[in-house]
Amino acid sequence: MGPSTSGVGTEPASFRDPASTVFYLDGHVLRGLSKQGAADYEALTATRFFPQAVQAGQIVGTRTVPEEELPAADGDSSWAMVLEHDRIPVVSYPYEWTFSMLKAAALLHLDLLQQGLAEGQTMKDGYAYNLQFVGARPVFIDVGSFEQARPGEPWAGYRQFCQTFLYPLLLTAYKGVRFQPWLRGAVQGIAPGDIRPLFTGFDVFKRGVLKHVVLHQAMDARFSKARASDTRRELQRAGFSTELQAATVKAIRKLVAGLRWKAGESAWSDYQRTSTYTDAEKERKQAFVRRSVAAAPAPLCYDLGANDGTYSRVAAEHAGYVVAADSDDLTVDLLFQALSKEGERRILPITLDLCDPSPGLGWRGRERSAFFDRDRPDVVLALALIHHLAITGNVPLAELVDWWHGLGARLVVEFVDPEDPMADRLLANKPAGMHGDYRRAVFERLLEERFQVLEREELPSGTRVLYHAAPKPSRA
Amino acid sequence: MQLAYLDAASGSMIVQAIVAGVAGVAVFAKLFWRRLTSPFRRKTATEAQATAHEPLGAKGDKR
Repeated sequence: MGPSTSGVGTEPASFRDPASTVFYLDGHVLRGLSKQGAADYEALTATRFFPQAVQAGQIVGTRTVPEEELPAADGDSSWAMVLEHDRIPVVSYPYEWTFSMLKAAALLHLDLLQQGLAEGQTMKDGYAYNLQFVGARPVFIDVGSFEQARPGEPWAGYRQFCQTFLYPLLLTAYKGVRFQPWLRGAVQGIAPGDIRPLFTGFDVFKRGVLKHVVLHQAMDARFSKARASDTRRELQRAGFSTELQAATVKAIRKLVAGLRWKAGESAWSDYQRTSTYTDAEKERKQAFVRRSVAAAPAPLCYDLGANDGTYSRVAAEHAGYVVAADSDDLTVDLLFQALSKEGERRILPITLDLCDPSPGLGWRGRERSAFFDRDRPDVVLALALIHHLAITGNVPLAELVDWWHGLGARLVVEFVDPEDPMADRLLANKPAGMHGDYRRAVFERLLEERFQVLEREELPSGTRVLYHAAPKPSRA
Repeated sequence: MQLAYLDAASGSMIVQAIVAGVAGVAVFAKLFWRRLTSPFRRKTATEAQATAHEPLGAKGDKR
């Protein structure tokens, strides 16, 4: 999590709320609280739901750090209290989640808010980035979000919740549009004025659209100049209450729980039939992956082009944590649903286009880190991937090998010969001769320049070869 | 009044009354009724003092 694992470093995304700031100290995740923040935290720990949610893994593990344990180097004595949080193994962002993941995160957020409201607590925000995944389980990480509810006030985070949770989910559920590019396009999410024109005709009769989109946008435009403090006061006088806030949250929860991604349901059966491997080949491949991952300690494994996650699961037998990345949302969504049912906590499914991976975003391009800057994997799986990148993506083989070398990890890679039916199909879309250097011999030469090949195995089909390779030290 | 660190938009606050259901709609209606009738209500000096803030949705610097 975050760029710094040694010394003191502040989390580049933690600066908006002055009451609560996250920083890193020698690999520990700490949160400094202002006087107000500390008072809020003390009220929070006195509730029944908070310790239960922490115990259940719904809220990130949190403890107070005694002052004497903080080194003087920290220097900042302005904090009234410092908390330590459990580390999230690998950070991911909403634009890397699938529909079911964003929905699961939204439901957890609302559940916690509902439980909080029952005990006089509310949340200052409603930001999708306040949740993370540990494996396939959503976890709420922003303990500083909770504060004591003030009578007569609506939920301050409602707008943010719409922008980063509800609108993206509605976009996919009702319009069949992928939300990921929209969230990646703006870290603050989709504004009411931007989503409104997309819902036309009968769309406005779909559940939630009239209130959360049409009316919300109209009110937003109508009262853009009104002062928030005046509005709060007038709402209070008109009789808005904490019970009404609870009713609002309950209604939103019901709406979110009912949202479905239609494509995600109908394609399920088609999906299970598409496999080009024979069982024998699959077994050989699994054994190779198992051996390779187990050959050396592997706290973190990236499975790039993870597909249905078969090899992520094999890797997880010996790796500490596995990121299963694939560009196909539907496949990743199905993998998430399966892992979620199993309560899996060591395989994180994400949707990622390797030819266009998540860049640094937000303030100074650092608030949300680029995917490949986030962590250092120990082993990288690239199985049945190379033909997609080299042929469809037109990435030269030398460039691919250089990229893998730059990851600094052991590599388990599969070369798919041009004669292989899958590669042949992709080549058929390209002008003849365009990928003339896409050959096993060329690949092996490039690989051996930058890596030491520890093991290689040709699969029974004769058109696929597996390599387990360790990176050579970089050339001076 | 304590303000949240997020700049809560007035429209986003008001619409929540509608989302809340029947009881909320009553609040919503009351809010607008007060707003509609406020120019016609005679104010005592103290009331005028208390409502010296801009009415909801007032445009610009008209004061």
